[in-house]
Amino acid sequence: MNINSEKRRSGMRNRMMFTVAVFLFGFLAVSPPIAFSAEKPIVIGVPSSLKMLESAEALNAIIMATEEINAKGGVKLGGAQRPLKVASIDTRGGEPGVPISDALLAIEKLFLEQKPDAVVLGPFRSEVLLAAMDLYEKYKMVSINVAMTPKFIEKYSSDPAKYKYCFRMLNAKYVVGYLMKTMAKLNKDYGFNKVYIVVQDVLWATAIGNGMKGWFEKNGWQVAGMDAYPTGASDFSSSLLKAQQSGAQVIMPIFDMASSGTLALQWKDMRVPAVPVGFISPLMGSKAAETFGNDVVEGVVNIAFQAGNVPLAKYPPATDFYNAYKKRWGQELQAGHMPSEAYDSVFVMANAIEKADSLDPDKLIKAIEEADYKGSIGRIRFKDHEIVFGEDPAENAILVIYQWKNGKRVPVFPESVAEGPIDKPKWMK
Amino acid sequence: MLVYGFINSIILALIALGFSMTFGISRVANFAHGSFYVLGGLLTWFFLRKAGLPYVISVIAAVVIVGILGAAMYRFLLVRLRGLELAEVISTFALGLIILELMRSMGIMGFQYRIPPFVPGSVSVFGTYVGIQRLIIVGAGLFLLVIIYLFVHHTRLGLAFRGVAQDDHTAFTVGINPDRISMLSLMVGSMLVSLAAILILPLGTISVDDGYDILLKSLAVCIIGGLESTFGVLVAAFILGYAEVLTSMYISSSLSMVVPLLCMLVILLIKPSGLFGKYKELEERI
Repeated sequence: MNINSEKRRSGMRNRMMFTVAVFLFGFLAVSPPIAFSAEKPIVIGVPSSLKMLESAEALNAIIMATEEINAKGGVKLGGAQRPLKVASIDTRGGEPGVPISDALLAIEKLFLEQKPDAVVLGPFRSEVLLAAMDLYEKYKMVSINVAMTPKFIEKYSSDPAKYKYCFRMLNAKYVVGYLMKTMAKLNKDYGFNKVYIVVQDVLWATAIGNGMKGWFEKNGWQVAGMDAYPTGASDFSSSLLKAQQSGAQVIMPIFDMASSGTLALQWKDMRVPAVPVGFISPLMGSKAAETFGNDVVEGVVNIAFQAGNVPLAKYPPATDFYNAYKKRWGQELQAGHMPSEAYDSVFVMANAIEKADSLDPDKLIKAIEEADYKGSIGRIRFKDHEIVFGEDPAENAILVIYQWKNGKRVPVFPESVAEGPIDKPKWMK
Repeated sequence: MLVYGFINSIILALIALGFSMTFGISRVANFAHGSFYVLGGLLTWFFLRKAGLPYVISVIAAVVIVGILGAAMYRFLLVRLRGLELAEVISTFALGLIILELMRSMGIMGFQYRIPPFVPGSVSVFGTYVGIQRLIIVGAGLFLLVIIYLFVHHTRLGLAFRGVAQDDHTAFTVGINPDRISMLSLMVGSMLVSLAAILILPLGTISVDDGYDILLKSLAVCIIGGLESTFGVLVAAFILGYAEVLTSMYISSSLSMVVPLLCMLVILLIKPSGLFGKYKELEERI
């Protein structure tokens, strides 16, 4: 009896030990390394208008970047490897009719509830970014933003000590610079010298429109007119009629709203004999030809605000990012600005944290100021808290001007990544 | 300018027609009107692009579904709130918000949501090239106005609509069920706005934000023309259509979207019932 009882107890012990061993093995197999999981994550805040295509794809790119960094062990800080964690909030600041104060409340909510260690992407609209700069200062939140208004640098320069927490990945002046060179090329190659400017009535777009207007007038071009349309406008016939009547050879649209697709369709329907050269966000992505038709997009010259948002045969990191995005999210990027710069921002921030070996804002700011990183948009360096753009991705970040040709986007400027010239549309010959 | 002013006017009339008809019969201001517009367009896109159905079937399916939704809104929501005008407005607006924000949260953003034009291309009209789709809109808009006139004046159901519109209590005494007619008016109004969406949206892309814009434009047209007057809607649409184009052409395109609201305020100050409306006048007399 005792022997049997002992055997039963022994069998139970064995089964228990076996069960515990299996459980432990399973637990260890599915768990990340203990040292890694024990570390508190570094929280990257993403307050933006996340129901806008550009911001939504940028958030995907940010998640992708954090996954890549975490897969390599995370960010080295204070002798430990710490993972990155994304905390986002939809500020709705880019949607028509949403007041700036609402967007600011959402940003503050993120700061108070999620307590991010740093911010990337930032507000979608320039107007919100300008207002949020004071919030960044209030919470000593180091941020790398993407909104483009030239007024950012004015505000930063007005009190650098106060606004030192803000960095920015693009200034509309670089868009103006690229467009100037493209227009000069069109003037030289085809004799174009009359333009009609149509812009969205928001800070960044009117800044580009006014900047270009000044340049046109100083460089022998005739500006037949400049119209600003409120966000959401869907009839552009009056501007197109005026462009047609004036004999303009170029229409320069600057729009990042969904209804600007109507502008392209109306331009085609009205057979306005002028080539659109500028920024129409609905014509940016790879699906535009399918959505609007090859005949609508053919010949249109569009500007992607960063490399990487379009693939570049001559700059592999841009194509690598573009393809990695497609692999991770199952579809190609459709936005012409924000995703690639947001992706690179995470790496810049992670490198800065490692270099500073601290999350102390002042140390982090210094590290970002000294950043020198080769990303999908080119070489990233900051001057006066703004990234420096150039025309060679080996030296600086770059924008990309491309032309729709036979349903494909062909980079035409800068020369370092161009895969063809700007063709005069066939219907103009 | 004359050509595009005319086209824009018909577009505005199409947008507002359903709102005006519903209000004229049931006295329900359907603030979910804009969301039904976007929903109609999006359902058509879905049936056409994702389900692979033929264009005609997609259109019919979308119009019928939105119509049923309009009827259901009356049957399950508004019938309990009859007579409480503020509650009717708030509840329809809330439903509209729910529909639009649900679409947004489902990821309806970007530029790929587009219904193709019925017939691509453009033709010259008085020396100005116009997209054929715009001409179809004009034709369909005028056709719909005629159909609605004939329906309301020469069919049994249409006469019942008019009876309820004139006096629902009297209509009830002669055997017309006002609740049933009001429900049908919501259904017809919802079907009209989804049809408007299917005609107009091929001119651009489908955006959730359109819902708010369409509601504002419908309100502006109906308030200027007189909330329950179909003829008033047509006149107001022409006033606004040309005002928008003229403002954009000769003053500033940035003010083109302010014009409807400005016109609406001026008309409210001068003639609160709208140009052809009787509702407010009668109320004041009583």
